[in-house]
Amino acid sequence: MSSQFKQLEKLGNGTYATVYKGLNKTTGVYVALKEVKLDSEEGTPSTAIREISLMKELKHENIVRLYDVIHTENKLTLVFEYMDNDLKKYMDSLTVGNSPQGLELHLVKYFQWQLLEGLAFCHANKILNRDLKPQNLLINKKGQLKLGDFGLARAFGIPVNTFSSEVVTLWYRAPDVLMGSRTYTTSIDIWSCGCILAEMITGKPLFPGTNDEEQLKLIFEMMGMPTEATWPGVSQLPKYAASSASFQQQHPNAALQGPKDLKELLQVNCKEKLDDVVINLLHGLLQLNPDMRLSAKQALHHTWFAEYYQRPTN
Amino acid sequence: METYNKALNILMKSPVTDDMIQFLTHATLQVMPNNNSNNNAAAYPSPPGSPKQVARLPSLRTFITKLVRYTNVYTPTLLSAVCYLNKLKRILPKDAKGLPSTIHRLFLACLIISAKFHNDSTPLNKHWAKYTDGLFSLEDINLMERQLLQLLKWDLRLTNEDLILDLQYLLEPIKQHIEITTRQKKKMLAYKKQEVYKHMRNLSVSSNLSSSTLVNSSSYEDLRCPSPGRRSLSNTTKQIDIWHDKNMPNDLSWNIDTHPVSITSSSYNY
Repeated sequence: MSSQFKQLEKLGNGTYATVYKGLNKTTGVYVALKEVKLDSEEGTPSTAIREISLMKELKHENIVRLYDVIHTENKLTLVFEYMDNDLKKYMDSLTVGNSPQGLELHLVKYFQWQLLEGLAFCHANKILNRDLKPQNLLINKKGQLKLGDFGLARAFGIPVNTFSSEVVTLWYRAPDVLMGSRTYTTSIDIWSCGCILAEMITGKPLFPGTNDEEQLKLIFEMMGMPTEATWPGVSQLPKYAASSASFQQQHPNAALQGPKDLKELLQVNCKEKLDDVVINLLHGLLQLNPDMRLSAKQALHHTWFAEYYQRPTN
Repeated sequence: METYNKALNILMKSPVTDDMIQFLTHATLQVMPNNNSNNNAAAYPSPPGSPKQVARLPSLRTFITKLVRYTNVYTPTLLSAVCYLNKLKRILPKDAKGLPSTIHRLFLACLIISAKFHNDSTPLNKHWAKYTDGLFSLEDINLMERQLLQLLKWDLRLTNEDLILDLQYLLEPIKQHIEITTRQKKKMLAYKKQEVYKHMRNLSVSSNLSSSTLVNSSSYEDLRCPSPGRRSLSNTTKQIDIWHDKNMPNDLSWNIDTHPVSITSSSYNY
């Protein structure tokens, strides 16, 4: 391993590994080396097993490419395509003083388009990412965006899998999952895409909760409290009763208020004028009822992206 | 194909049976057929009453049975291991030979990989080592896991087609049952329609319609429950909660499920 790649500076810590920049000595091409220290009691971590076996198949320009795997007794090294930056660090770098800044809307649109393209490819290949967030979206100087971390990803569609509801970083976790659903599917990733879209527009996380309960509270305050009428079956979710009760206790009049005006809320933190088209897309991604959320493919056909799918042919 | 898919869903929801263990034992022995020259009887249970004759290396069947009991492994995890065993059979040279314990290693490695790939929380390798009753050390387990991943080239995805092909032996009776039930249902419906038609003329319809519904649903229920002839292992299993180990690394950005009951109970979610 050390013979083929020269290890350069540390790029960061992933969910279960340390990532270094590396140089392929024979080709002169930069790579990202994701090093997983093997704990002998655990053996090969299941996160690594899934990330490798799933990413091997995912060859798409909006998904970071896994080139190689080097497996020794003490260390597992994943050799990835090198990317300059991640979306989180990039947005942080735009902060002026203490106030975060959103991205320019044309860039938001380009990034969101690429995110949905990559995700649609995962879903078509029966893979859930389950950890979409700005830190895991890698970008480069050409403005390309690629899904970068599949440590929590899972295959779906065969009657073999068991799922945990403890997935997705809290701020980007869908309400059905927060309420304990284990029967989630592709819609779990779509919710995260909605949160990311809003965050790119304003520079601020949309629902920055500190625990499960607060996370649900923030979501319900903005989107309204779901009921059997708006979301058939919601009352069957393990934590619905508890979250509904505590929400109504804190907001006795919430039922009358309904969802807030998302456009108004986002406009406060966005320099450009937001139009109804992007807000419409956002609503499609952030449906409380998972069955009502757009699919990645549907989202790619949304009017907001018309300039991409109606590209003039010369 | 649709009937096979239905049968697969039913199979995966049933508890682990002796039939399944017999099937797994057979599949494992097939991976290296030349390795079992003096171990052919291993597929069958050792005769009762002579436990002392069991060597330090248990028969493969005993080995698998114990692992299933100790770990309370899910049916889907256990049965998917067959797909990996069959992949191995295709990869390994036909005359491959190993130690007498090699087939035990093959089975265990395939089961561990199946558990790690298909479940969100799984036992650590140190637990697997413990459940081999001292047959394999932690180092052995880590090595066999690494070797298997390399042999399979990390190619662990399974499709419904893979499962149906490799589990056909177990699926066939369920499929036949479904077909018989469907035929009966159709006949019954046709008969009832006739009856209803007759009765319509006599203006007395309702009672027959409801009885037809009853017959159909009860025969389906019968299919979903394991027949009493199939002894369920999980009934005799001590529940050991190794699927939710608190010693998983803390640097995961998520927590291992802390509600073991909801997974170890027979509610399957996928």
